[in-house]
Amino acid sequence: MRSRFYFLPLASFVLPGGPAYATVYLSVEQAQALMFPGATFQPDSRTLTNEQAKAIEHTSGVNVRSKQLKLWRVSTGGWFIIDEVVGKHEFIPFALGLDDSGALKAIEILEYREAYGGQIRETDWRKQFVGKQPGTKLQLDKSIRNISGATLSCKHITDGVNRLLATYEIAIKESASRP
Amino acid sequence: MSIRVEGLPVADAHRAIDAAFEEIAAVHRLMSFHEVTSDVSRLNAHGDRLPVAVHSWTLDVLRWALCFSLLSDGCFDASVGAELVDWRLLPTPPGAVRRPEGSWRDIEVRPDGKVQFHRPLWIDLGGIAKGYAVDRATECLRARGTSFSVVNAGGDIRVTGRHAEPIGLDTGPDTQFTDARPVIELKEGSIASSSGHRQRRWHRGRRCGPHVDGARRTPAATDRFVCVIAEQCVVADALTKVVMAKGADCAALLGHFGSSAHIHDPGSGWRHLETALEAE
Repeated sequence: MRSRFYFLPLASFVLPGGPAYATVYLSVEQAQALMFPGATFQPDSRTLTNEQAKAIEHTSGVNVRSKQLKLWRVSTGGWFIIDEVVGKHEFIPFALGLDDSGALKAIEILEYREAYGGQIRETDWRKQFVGKQPGTKLQLDKSIRNISGATLSCKHITDGVNRLLATYEIAIKESASRP
Repeated sequence: MSIRVEGLPVADAHRAIDAAFEEIAAVHRLMSFHEVTSDVSRLNAHGDRLPVAVHSWTLDVLRWALCFSLLSDGCFDASVGAELVDWRLLPTPPGAVRRPEGSWRDIEVRPDGKVQFHRPLWIDLGGIAKGYAVDRATECLRARGTSFSVVNAGGDIRVTGRHAEPIGLDTGPDTQFTDARPVIELKEGSIASSSGHRQRRWHRGRRCGPHVDGARRTPAATDRFVCVIAEQCVVADALTKVVMAKGADCAALLGHFGSSAHIHDPGSGWRHLETALEAE
């Protein structure tokens, strides 16, 4: 048994919740600042049409649960999206940053409430998504390292990323040149 | 409540975690003060009139409770259910006629494995059953071959295996750490913490929380934050109650179990209680 006591700057990492734990959430603003330091964010939320939702489902192979797209334009270029996926018992809200070519820049888990699967918060696992282009279809075990014990969450986050990359192609890209 | 594991193929990991959750649920069914069919409720209802047969796990926990009572001179006392009912932190057991006045010394675990109370008692095992459940869940995971596990039952946490796990401490709304949070990094051990600040209430002009000094039958300080680190979670859980009540006087008791504590009192800051045994 070994223990060490120290003070850690806030917002360093997310920990499970309970009286001896405080769950440290990443707020939307903190995720924005992390992904696009110094930028400002213009809300550009939109509702997908039925046709768009169907096209996204067809391209990504993932069900579109909600047609509400929580989207921001980033002043320094790119897009910021808030979405959520379903774990075994709970939703997992996460943030996705795209650069201005629609390639995945970063992904941050905002809140993790799940019976098991905390590993998806680890930086190494999330790094695997960075740089994936629209049109790429990610597959567990092939392009994404799975984590023992966290499979349901890994698959759902992978599905979420696939769905949002397809969403960029179908519903965001064409408006990129608009002011 | 959460469980994380490493070192197993996915399907086995899911099965192991399900089995571990079932251990925790089973402990709750046996020892909940609120469930009428639990061993605890059956004991509280008629343990003073006839010997009651209980599950072997309940016997385990009662033996632990008696051990902690003996070593803490009664500061730890499972019979404080009566005070917790007075302070409205627990409901009156159904069908109860009179408020009991006994203590831990009235609990007898008989050689035949049945339990008898020598005076009416309301025992509450909530103080250690959660820690015991975490230990059982951990053993269950280990038996199934995990190389690393973290079992977290509402702040009672046990870590086993190859990684050190960082654990943030929630010291409550009165102690705001605005730029840094206290963290314990734990390897191969358990941690339990007080949560009194979340359940404080007033009773007859006195502020009461869920931690009771069993010897004095008074509420322990509700402004204090305590966390105890021990090998077994049942020990960390129980000693938290004693350190809440007795503070720095607990060094010898902590040493007996090879454990240590971190205490925060408003105005005094942090203290680390450990003995030479634990520091090795």
